Amino acid sequence: MIDLKDIVVKFGDFEALHHINVDVKEGEFFTFLGPSGCGKTTTLRTITGFIEPVSGTVSVNDVDITNVPIEKRNIGIVFQSYALFPTMTVEDNIAFGLKLKHMSKSEINDKVQEIARKVDLSDAQLKKAVSQLSGGQQQRVAIARALVTGPSIICMDEPLSNLDAKLRVQLRNELKKMQREFGITTIYVTHDQEEALTLSDRIAVFNKGYIEQIGTPNEVYNHSRTEFVCNFIGDINRLGKEIADKMKLNPNQNHFIRLERVRVNNVKNDGALQLKGVIESREYYGLYIKYYINLGDQTIKAIEKNDGINIYEAGEEVTVCLHPADIMSYDVQNA
Amino acid sequence: MKKKLASLNPGNLWKVFGIAFFVYLFLGFMLLPCLNTITQVFTVKDANGNIDPWAVIRFFFAGNMPSYVMNSLKLAVCLVITVNIVGISIVLLTEYFDIKGAKILRIGYMTTLIYSGVALVTGYLFLYDSDGILTTWLCGMFPDMDKNWFSGFNAVLFTMTFACTSNHALFLRNAIRAIDYNTVEAARNLGAKPFTVLKKVVLPTLIPTLFSLTVMTFITGLCAMSAPTLLGYDSINPEIVRLAGSSTADEAFPQARAALLSIILALFTIVLLTVLSAYERKGHYLSVSKTKAKLVKQKITNPVANVLAHIYAYVLFIIYMTPVVMIVLFAFQNYPAIRAKSLSFDQFTLINFFGQQDYEFLTNRGKVKVREGSISGLFSNDATVGGIRLSFVMSAIAAALACVIVVIAVNYIFKNKGKKRAVAMEYSMLFPWLLPTILICYSYRTYFNSDSVWYVFNNNLYMKENVRFLIVMAYTVVKLPFALRMIKAAFYAIDEELEDAARNLGASSLVTFLKVKLPIVLPSVLAVFALNFNALFTEYDMSATFQSSYGTTYAMVIQSMCAEEGRDGYNVNASGRRCASTVFIMVISGLILYLVYGVGARDLGERLERKEKRRKRLAAFKAKFHHEETKELAS
Repeated sequence: MIDLKDIVVKFGDFEALHHINVDVKEGEFFTFLGPSGCGKTTTLRTITGFIEPVSGTVSVNDVDITNVPIEKRNIGIVFQSYALFPTMTVEDNIAFGLKLKHMSKSEINDKVQEIARKVDLSDAQLKKAVSQLSGGQQQRVAIARALVTGPSIICMDEPLSNLDAKLRVQLRNELKKMQREFGITTIYVTHDQEEALTLSDRIAVFNKGYIEQIGTPNEVYNHSRTEFVCNFIGDINRLGKEIADKMKLNPNQNHFIRLERVRVNNVKNDGALQLKGVIESREYYGLYIKYYINLGDQTIKAIEKNDGINIYEAGEEVTVCLHPADIMSYDVQNA
Repeated sequence: MKKKLASLNPGNLWKVFGIAFFVYLFLGFMLLPCLNTITQVFTVKDANGNIDPWAVIRFFFAGNMPSYVMNSLKLAVCLVITVNIVGISIVLLTEYFDIKGAKILRIGYMTTLIYSGVALVTGYLFLYDSDGILTTWLCGMFPDMDKNWFSGFNAVLFTMTFACTSNHALFLRNAIRAIDYNTVEAARNLGAKPFTVLKKVVLPTLIPTLFSLTVMTFITGLCAMSAPTLLGYDSINPEIVRLAGSSTADEAFPQARAALLSIILALFTIVLLTVLSAYERKGHYLSVSKTKAKLVKQKITNPVANVLAHIYAYVLFIIYMTPVVMIVLFAFQNYPAIRAKSLSFDQFTLINFFGQQDYEFLTNRGKVKVREGSISGLFSNDATVGGIRLSFVMSAIAAALACVIVVIAVNYIFKNKGKKRAVAMEYSMLFPWLLPTILICYSYRTYFNSDSVWYVFNNNLYMKENVRFLIVMAYTVVKLPFALRMIKAAFYAIDEELEDAARNLGASSLVTFLKVKLPIVLPSVLAVFALNFNALFTEYDMSATFQSSYGTTYAMVIQSMCAEEGRDGYNVNASGRRCASTVFIMVISGLILYLVYGVGARDLGERLERKEKRRKRLAAFKAKFHHEETKELAS
């Protein structure tokens, strides 16, 4: 579907993207994830045509579109600020692209009505000014405007970052539902790893203009290819030299274990390393509790479901189990 | 070769044409005329016909010329003190202290926004002149009073003190309203007394605004024109105008001396603006808090101070309002009432606005003579209507032209952000800001008063009707910097993603400009148009500098009304018409300000809401009507 080959982008002397290669499949929800300034938005803007790469090609369905003008690419965009035209009503915003295609009035009206129903905008809302809508409603207008011209691909640049936490989760679910209904190939940019993991079919993790890993949410989370990826996605414990030695791990590598893989007072004879520790402190999250456990050589973080069974107080002695299969190891130079 | 041909497409042709236009505008109507003025000073010929570069300078120091500069400086310095005292007072009294009737007080203090310049000065004259209303009344009470008390420096200072607080009323008010009230509460909580809070917390945050206002007031004082001209004070500007119209037969090189004075004025302005911009660049005290609390008005707890503050507030109010009220009242009185300075219902008339009347009078020989149409309303008097029409047309053209030029320039500046050509464009548009308007007008008057300026096709632009083109150009050029600052600020409000979104949806850059960007900046552009039109419509300083009978603007007509009342039975009601003119100006300015700040400031959402409310009210009204109708039918 979308094929990026060896894309290099430069801003003056600064090389923002170094030989990016991505292949997005038809109907896929594909996420560019990374910290700010990593090149994810630059890659998106290269696909939409706002940025011209120094070298490399962008092709859609095996057609090279690297030099096709922005308006002829047939790629819809939902912007971070939504970029809704403040001087137009909701209806005029959605119809803007259709009018430029010189469609008949009745055709435009039908299409606007149809898409409005799909994104759950009422007739009364269509007549309103953009500023009269809530953040969530504005986002639906932005999506409707991007989809109404029937693009083959839709690009979203951090579309949830302007919303408050609760609405963000709610709209995340709606977004996924809508994408499934429309079946449209979606490229999604975010710096929020939770958003990426819940929404995506596949994720590309960006760092300093390189792609560190492309994979499914499970692959990226549980089998992070690089130290950067395993650190960026989710909280993690880095094992000290003493524990690594006890587990007979390669001394030339750095070793990590996720918080939920650290077992507290759950001893099984499955080859896991057992260590005695003391609860140093805890952070209460409601859904779960994060414990800081002093193992003598280092403090390790562990997460326990807040199920009322395993609640530990500070000072309490516990047994911690670390299973070799849960350890992720990376060569030192890899960092 | 191929590349050259490709570069000649229509888009590039427009670009070349556009750049040529701006270069023409800058060189032809800003730089060259002003450079000519400078060279005028140094190319004066002595009696033998040799060029003597220092002749004018020597003459300047030998004669009384420094006194004009000193007079202007004296006025500027005094104005800075008085305008700041009054300006800070009116803002504190209406915004910071809890004074009863603050809303009405504010309306009074803001009257200078709807009438200024000649209209205001003639209004003050109407009251305080030797035969003015107040002077006559006061002389009735105190027969020993000097009838001519209102003239010269004191009169100019008094008039301008109250005329020049408009900027305080606008900008200082905004600054004081932007104060985070939590900082006031914090100071009180820490034990500061109300006056200490004012001195240590509130005033320091106002200092940047006050500094800018001080510099602007100083420049206004230096460049004062209408007040010194009408009230008789020998400052720089009236002298430049006098010299410009003088001839070498009467005095030594008058033109070169006028040029020298205008250059001195320009130097002062440049230095002051440089200081101002250097100060502004240093940055301001910005509020650091994220959530600002609205200012709550402070009660003056000391009862004596409270009474004094109220008295002070209402005395200022009376000073501001008296001319306005008197002018409005006398605008509807006939000429005998105005001459007798007495108000009465019997003497109510609309003749000062509409229609004509004949004037009967007794000659020395005891014959009754009739002067036909000698009493005429503002809209029926040929000279006045001519002035209004000329001012209206010239101001509208110039205000529109300035907007169009600046919108194109700002669009160019934003498209070439960070590039040298954008900076060059911006500075060339700001250039007239450095020069006093009189320098620009004087330069136009002398430079284009010749048929050898090749780039205007050797036309003498000061001759006959041509001067109107010159005035329009001067109006336009003078208004460019203000338009640029305002419209540039509006362009900053355009989210860059909007442009991307429009292009992504298939809009060309022209369509993006017309359909997306222009509608966003349009309210600001229209506001700039309206404010510039408002200022130019009643402008006096520039047209007075041109001093041409073909460019007699509305303000010049009003000014001439002051002198011509009833002479030989002509223009019998000139004073009444003068009042009516001021009322007319106040109505127009008030309307424009309402459109700009009332209607124009509403966004699409507010407009739709208002429309919906109107629709509902109409529907409710219809329903009620229908209901009563059916009730009537039923009974």
